[in-house]
Amino acid sequence: MGYSTFLFCDPVSAERAGWFSGVMQEAASTVSGESQVNVTVFLTGDALFSLVDSRSRSSWNRIGDLPSVRIIADGDELRLQGLLHSVSSQAQEIHITGGGEHDPFWECVVSTLKTHRPGMKRAAFLLCNSPYMSRVPVYMLRFFSRVQKAGLVPEMYNYLDGVHTLHNGQRPSEFENIGRGVSALANSGALSGRDTWFAACSRCATARGYYQMNPGTGFCEPASCIQEIAIRPLKEILARFFQDHPIVSHFSGECVLDERAKDAPHLVVFITSPPYCSEWTFGGLSLAVAAAMDGMRTTVVFIEDGVFALHGTHDVPENDKIFNIQEMVAVTTDVGCLRYFVHSPSLNERGIAVSDDFSLIRKVSDAGLASILFGKEPGEHSPIVRMIFF
Amino acid sequence: MENNTKDFTELTCTNLMIKLKILLNRLPNGDSVRFLATREQVDNTCTPFSGQGYRVSWDQRGENQFLVQIGR
Repeated sequence: MGYSTFLFCDPVSAERAGWFSGVMQEAASTVSGESQVNVTVFLTGDALFSLVDSRSRSSWNRIGDLPSVRIIADGDELRLQGLLHSVSSQAQEIHITGGGEHDPFWECVVSTLKTHRPGMKRAAFLLCNSPYMSRVPVYMLRFFSRVQKAGLVPEMYNYLDGVHTLHNGQRPSEFENIGRGVSALANSGALSGRDTWFAACSRCATARGYYQMNPGTGFCEPASCIQEIAIRPLKEILARFFQDHPIVSHFSGECVLDERAKDAPHLVVFITSPPYCSEWTFGGLSLAVAAAMDGMRTTVVFIEDGVFALHGTHDVPENDKIFNIQEMVAVTTDVGCLRYFVHSPSLNERGIAVSDDFSLIRKVSDAGLASILFGKEPGEHSPIVRMIFF
Repeated sequence: MENNTKDFTELTCTNLMIKLKILLNRLPNGDSVRFLATREQVDNTCTPFSGQGYRVSWDQRGENQFLVQIGR
């Protein structure tokens, strides 16, 4: 028996709900008995709107009808968004957390993750969103609060805009103070003898001014940072990914087929955004390539608007300081642990094709995705699969 | 910094490797790329190119700054 857990905090488009439903149905139809995977999907934040949106509701109904799948919605966030009544009356297959206890949703997330790993000692959050512009850091603090209450060690990996959590002197007038929350977690961890491991990616921190060159020494030093988060090379953060603890994020999942296996988890990175106008694609690819170069089995799936990265021929102007995503993909196809796939339904929906230069990149359907995500690829052994959406 | 010398000191080792593979793919035989790198980048990223048929050399220019030249 395997277990799979998903945490969705960001909006779920009709397209995403559609292919996710297709993957869930494929997984349910191809595996049964001892090899069955029980799936729990946790929904909070903007993901909750997809439960009432007519464009995505039917997909969730199909997922909820599967006997091996449990959908759990954050009752506190449903109340905040005015959705509690409509979700509870329209969607009988959705379990809604709530009641007298504080943060029951996050308690449920942590206890579910812990159930799948009897010897679990730590739980991590890959934070890619900045405080205040996004509510994801609030969810992260709630998650960590429950992680500590469960006697586990929280690990935070700040990446992309998530490194803004580093900034000292945060003083929001209307929002929960994320910097103070992180410091409090670190302090309570130290007092309980379970030191937290909080790290920010040095490339992302340097780009945003939190890691500045000291001309005297030639080395970078933290600038305007809270002390509880160390700035480290991405390589050091990715070294934590070789361990088998859960790593959740704004949109993430995992499949645990054998919690006792010693193999490093298989990392699946979904590239879902267009290539250049945000850092999501570059950030996702950088993380995937770095993980693969360190020997982690890594799969990159271009899906939804991410397929635009492989369409046409990108020509970066001489004066534009930006990585050519297509060149980045082209020169990394020889990295041993790295595989690239493109989701064919995403291409079909957009009416585009992959450039001839990338004709060797394998196309994958919802059925193929189900095999990858649930560790059922012929000849491949993946006791734990981690999924992160960029 | 000399003309045509790029400063790659702020790239991660992985991104420097990708950048160099892109630049070296375009490089005509006999030509070379010159750039500034840190000690960590020289050790982890630049040196391995010598095992792939490239000429790799460097001069220390500062406490943690090296002028690297890689050519075919």
